[in-house]
Amino acid sequence: MSANDTLLAPAYATAFKERVPLEKVASPVSVILPAEIKSESIIRQGRLSAMVPGLLIPDYGASLTSTIYLRGIGSRMENPSMGLYVDGIPIMDKNAYDFDWTGISFAALMRGPGATLYGRNSMSGTLVLQSRSPDGHNSLSASAEGGIAGTLRAGVSASIGRHVLSASVRHSAGWFENIYKGALCDPYDGLSFRWKWEQPASGKVQWSNNLSASISREGGFAYGLYENGVLHPVSYNGEGSYHRLSVIEGVHFSYKGDGLSLDGTGSLQWLSDDMRMDQDFTPQHIFTLQQAQNSGTATLELIARSENGNWQQASGAFSFYRRNQMHAPVTFGRAGIETLILDNANRNIPEDIGYLSIPDDELPIGSEFTINTVGVALFHESVITAGRWRLTAGLRLDYEGGAMAYDCLASLHYRFIPTMKADKAFDVPYRGNVVQTSGLQILPKISALVEAADGFFVFGTVSKGYRAGGFNTQIFSDILQSRTMNGLMKDLGVYLDTPTVSVLAENTRYKPETAWNYEAGLRLVRDGFRAEGSVYYMDVRNQQLTVFPPGKTIGRMMANAGHSRSLGAEAELDWHIGDFQLRASYAWCDARFVDYNDGNNDYSGNRVPYVPEHTAFVSAAWNCKIKNATLQASASARAYGPIFWDEAGRLSEPLHIRPEARLSLAFKKWEIWLRGENLTGAAGRNFYFKSVGREFFSRERPLNILLGISINL
Amino acid sequence: MKKILFALLALSLIACTKVEPEKLPEPEAADYTGTVTVMFQGEPFDNEGINVNFTPSEDGKTAEITIYKIRFVPQMPVTIDVTIPKINLQSTSEGIILSCEEVIPLAMGGEYPRYKVTELKGKVAGKELTFSLNFGDYPTSFKGQAD
Repeated sequence: MSANDTLLAPAYATAFKERVPLEKVASPVSVILPAEIKSESIIRQGRLSAMVPGLLIPDYGASLTSTIYLRGIGSRMENPSMGLYVDGIPIMDKNAYDFDWTGISFAALMRGPGATLYGRNSMSGTLVLQSRSPDGHNSLSASAEGGIAGTLRAGVSASIGRHVLSASVRHSAGWFENIYKGALCDPYDGLSFRWKWEQPASGKVQWSNNLSASISREGGFAYGLYENGVLHPVSYNGEGSYHRLSVIEGVHFSYKGDGLSLDGTGSLQWLSDDMRMDQDFTPQHIFTLQQAQNSGTATLELIARSENGNWQQASGAFSFYRRNQMHAPVTFGRAGIETLILDNANRNIPEDIGYLSIPDDELPIGSEFTINTVGVALFHESVITAGRWRLTAGLRLDYEGGAMAYDCLASLHYRFIPTMKADKAFDVPYRGNVVQTSGLQILPKISALVEAADGFFVFGTVSKGYRAGGFNTQIFSDILQSRTMNGLMKDLGVYLDTPTVSVLAENTRYKPETAWNYEAGLRLVRDGFRAEGSVYYMDVRNQQLTVFPPGKTIGRMMANAGHSRSLGAEAELDWHIGDFQLRASYAWCDARFVDYNDGNNDYSGNRVPYVPEHTAFVSAAWNCKIKNATLQASASARAYGPIFWDEAGRLSEPLHIRPEARLSLAFKKWEIWLRGENLTGAAGRNFYFKSVGREFFSRERPLNILLGISINL
Repeated sequence: MKKILFALLALSLIACTKVEPEKLPEPEAADYTGTVTVMFQGEPFDNEGINVNFTPSEDGKTAEITIYKIRFVPQMPVTIDVTIPKINLQSTSEGIILSCEEVIPLAMGGEYPRYKVTELKGKVAGKELTFSLNFGDYPTSFKGQAD
C-alpha cells in the first residue's frame, strides 16, 4: 500500500458531497480503504468500533439495534445520531443501518456534524460507504471463511462490463445459550446482494444505478439477569428473533457542463421486518413484544456545483417522504397479569373490601401505527481558496413534519371478588392522530483550513447538526397498561390514591435534538505517513431522553429533557514503512449532562451513559515476500471504556481490550488466512438495561478462530 | 232581612271560590355536591366535595343514590363509588322524604353486604339533599347542594 492509498484516491471522490480531497476537508476524517476492509475483516459497521476514534457500535440485541455512539452522542431508539450514506444514497431507516458490507469497497467516517451537506441525523458524524465500481474489465472474486460457533461467511463478486454483481451469505449457529430453552439464542442466517451499473464516464451526462437487497433471519437478545453483582446466563421463555427484508434502489445522474455540474440522486427504500422479543427476559411469561414494520421511503436530491476562479459553490435541495406501517402488539402473560397488573392493583385495595381478578391467560394490547413523515431541505456551501487558505461557509434550511395515526386496543375479562358473580369483558380502545413538526432547522457551518507547510494542515470548524424528532411508539404499551388499569378501576368504581400515571399520545412526540460543534485540528500527510489530531466541544440541546411525567414517580415518556456537552480529543495515525504498516487511533471523550432531571432525580453533572471515555485501536502488519507468495502477519487490539451504564453512574464497565491477529498467505490469484477475534476470550459486558425492575447485561462475543480462502480471477 | 241577604251573598261567594289543592314536589334526577360525614371511632370523619347522584324511578316511588369516591375511614387507601338502591320516596309539602329500613348497597360491580345500609332517612328540599344512614357499623350523613 502506498502512502497516498491512505488518503482519498480520486476514484472514491464520488462517495462524498465535498468536492475537495479529503486531506483538505476541515474536519477529522477516518478513511478505510479496500485493503483494510479485507485485512480487518470489516463486514459490518460494528467492526469500525475504536478503529474510528471515539466510535463504539456495540454488537448486542439484533441487527435492528444499530446503536452508535460517537463523541458522547448516541441513540438506542428511534432516529440515529450518525448519518449513513451508501453510494450517495442516505439510509433513512435505522433498522437498515446494520447490514453486511457486500460489495463495499471504501468507507470514510467524517466526525462532527455534517448537516449542511448531509442533512438530518448527521449530528455526531457521517459514515460514507461506496461500493465497488465497474472498471470495464471482466473479473470474478470469491471468498469463504468459517470458524467457531458455526460461523460461515461466503461471498462472490463479479465485474462484467459496466456491471458489478456481489452476493454474500452469512451463517452463525449462535454464541449464547438460552439455558431455559437449552438452545443457542442468537443464530443468524443472512443473504445479501448488490448490483451496480455505471455508464462509462464519457460525455457530459453519466448515469449509474445501485440496487441492494438483503434478507436475514436471526435470533438475538442474549441478555442475562444481573443480580447481586452476578451476571447470570441467558434464560428466558419467550421468542427472541428478528427477520428483515431490505431493498434499496438508487439512481444517480451527473451532468458536467462548462463551469457547472449537476448531480441528482433518487432512491426508493423498502424495509419489512419483524421483531419478537421476550421483554422481561425471564423464564416467566410476563410480557412479550412484537414489532413488525413495513416502511417505504423515497428520497430525491439535486446539487448544482460551479467553480469560478477561487470560489467553489454547491447549492442543492433534498426531499423525502417516508411511510411506516407498524404492528406492535404487547402481550402480557399470566405472570405479567399477576405481577404487573393485579399485584399493583390489589396492593392498594384493602383485603376486607375484596380483590381484583383477571382470569385470562394472556392480555393482548394491540398497537397499530401509521407514520407519515415528509422532509424538505435547501442548502448551500461555498469554498473560497486564498493562497494556502480554504474558507468554507454553508447553510442548510431543513423542515420536517410527521403525522402518526395510532389504533390500540387492550381486551380482557375481569371480576372483583366477592362483589361480582361473573367475569366481565372489558375493552380499552385508544385511537387518534398526533402531528409533529420539527420547525425550521437552520444549520450553519463555518470552517477554515490552512496548509501551514507542505502536507501540514491546520483546521477549525463551527457547525450545527440535528437528529430528527418523531414519535416514541414503544411507550404506547405503557400508556395502554395505565389506561387499562385506570379504566378498569373506574369501571369498578374504585379509585387508588396513587393511580397509575397515564401519559397521552401527545407525550410520545419529541422534537429534534441539536448539537453545536466547535472543533480545531491538525493533519500531517507525508509519504507513507498520515497523522491527524483534533479537539472538540459539542453542546447538545433538546436531548431526546426518557423521563417521568412531571410530579410523578411512575410512567415514562420521551421528552426533549436534556442538555449535555461533550469535550474530547481524537488522534489517528497511519504509517507505512516498507513492508511494515501501523494504524493507530485514540479518543478521549468527557460527555456529561449539563441539565437532566428525569422527574425523580437530577443527573446534572453526571456522565452520559453508554459512552466510552476512551477508545483506542492499534494494528500492526508485516508483509514478507516468499518466492511467489506474500506472507502477512498482523495483530491488532481494540479498547474502549470505562463506560457508565446508568445516568446515576452507579454501574460501570472498565476498559475492555480485545486483541485480534491474522496470518495470511497470498498468491497471485488466491489467498488463505487464519485469524482470531477476541483472543483473550474476555467476556466483557456491552449493554445494560432495566426491565420490570430487574437489571440485565449482554456480553461480548467470546473467542473466535476463523479460517478463510479467497480466489481472484 | 238585610242580614239574611248578606249571609246568603257571602255563602254564594264562598261556594263560587275554587279551592286549589296543595302542590307537592315531584322527584327529579339531580347531582349534588356536599360533605359526607362518617362517624369513625366516635369521631366525625368528613369527606368534603363529594358528588352524589339522585335518580328517581320512572313512577317516582323509589330512587337510588350513588355516592362517588367515598372513603369510610381515614386509613382507607382507596375511594369507592357506592349505590344505594330501593330508597322509598314520599312527596310532602316540606319536600321529598327519603327512607329505607334496610338494603344491600351496590359497589365494585355487585352487591356489597359488608356495608349494608340501614335506617336511611333523608329529604330533598329545594336544591338541598340531606340524608343519614348506617353503612354497616358506620353512621353516615350527607348534606349537599344541587350542582
